[in-house]
Amino acid sequence: MRSDYILPIFLFFVLLLLQSTLVNLISISGIVPDLILILLVYYSIKNNQIFGMVLGFIFGLLFDLITGSLLGSSIISKTVCGFTAGYFSNENKRELYLNSYAFPLIVLLCGIIDSFVYSFFSSSNLNSSFVFLMMQQGVFPGVYTAGISLIVLFFRPKRSMR
Amino acid sequence: MFRFISNIWGNFKEYFILAFLLILGLVLVSFNQKPGVKTVRAMAFGTFASVSSLVNDVIGISQIKTENSQLKEKNAELMLQLNKLREFGIENEELKGLLKLKDTVKYPLIPATIVAKSFSTSQNTVTLHGGNSSGIKPGMPVINDQGLIGIVYSTSDDYSIARTLRNRDLKLTVKDERSRIDGIMKWNGDDLVMVDVPKTYDIKPGDRIITSELSSLISIPVPIGVVMELSKVETGIFNEVRVKPLVNFAKAANVYVIGIIESKQKNQLELNFFNRK
Repeated sequence: MRSDYILPIFLFFVLLLLQSTLVNLISISGIVPDLILILLVYYSIKNNQIFGMVLGFIFGLLFDLITGSLLGSSIISKTVCGFTAGYFSNENKRELYLNSYAFPLIVLLCGIIDSFVYSFFSSSNLNSSFVFLMMQQGVFPGVYTAGISLIVLFFRPKRSMR
Repeated sequence: MFRFISNIWGNFKEYFILAFLLILGLVLVSFNQKPGVKTVRAMAFGTFASVSSLVNDVIGISQIKTENSQLKEKNAELMLQLNKLREFGIENEELKGLLKLKDTVKYPLIPATIVAKSFSTSQNTVTLHGGNSSGIKPGMPVINDQGLIGIVYSTSDDYSIARTLRNRDLKLTVKDERSRIDGIMKWNGDDLVMVDVPKTYDIKPGDRIITSELSSLISIPVPIGVVMELSKVETGIFNEVRVKPLVNFAKAANVYVIGIIESKQKNQLELNFFNRK
């Protein structure tokens, strides 16, 4: 395994620990931010699309194994997210995306995709309308995650984090 | 030819890798029930849960004070209720003696602590500190003082994962406590609902919903929730009954696992999806 993956995977465990213990305390109507997604988007932009996809796959696999959710559901959603975030990994604009308010917007986009793919894939509720499903399980968690991702802008290390 | 393939790969490698990873993900979906995957999963969540239980203990200290005062109040209420029940118990024993009946039903309760909660709205699970070594097995119901929380899904030596009522993969046979009408209850992503309930059935808002004796998972009556409303389905002959769970899943911390195992013969006969040993 490339050494580039070691730090993100270590941070994954730290954030998963926070996610499963502290984050539930700030849930709004059962909707919670996805800290792991923020980490994934950060590293996907920081490196490149392939790195993002592979990291998304690893995060999804670990997440599915640890939380007991359907094996494969997070793998697919996080891989797609890594792919999407990787589109913004342009060498010329990388720093701009990571240091500006574009970052929460990318997290929002990825959050919507992640929540939607995950919930749709894990079990689709055909009784709910598509728009409702999109709002309830895609947009709201995505907005909350994007809001939390603003923290990254303020606390982002000045030196490169690899 | 090689140059052509090399060009294709160079231009579209991201898409090839994406397709490969997605296919791999889809293949893994079919491995969910494989014993090897279950073993790896048990090891993974067991290791992680031991760490998260430490963090949870630290967080829990700040909540203990509030919980303590609440528990004292509840204790006083329960003491009064207990007094009443003692009276009823004595009376009951006397009456049973008269009828020559014996109360043989006892439910062993295994205490456990929730050390982690998943945040998925569709596949809500909780990780419990308590596993095979405490006698917890897959399929056992998890309760607290308010009612049913879920069912144990997977266990390791010291930890177990339970699917809560807010998990789409958990479907239960339940009944209306007042009218004794049975139905299938599931989580639709937003609410607990009893599905395909004929409109002519006598179910009203405010009715308590408990587990049905017909259930192959939990055949003892455990409270689940209260009927909130009946959906207004214009067409068809079925209603959807929205149920408000009695348990506050966000606040649940200390739970009990009911150590009951349904009859193996009955399970095999009913093709229950939990293979209890």
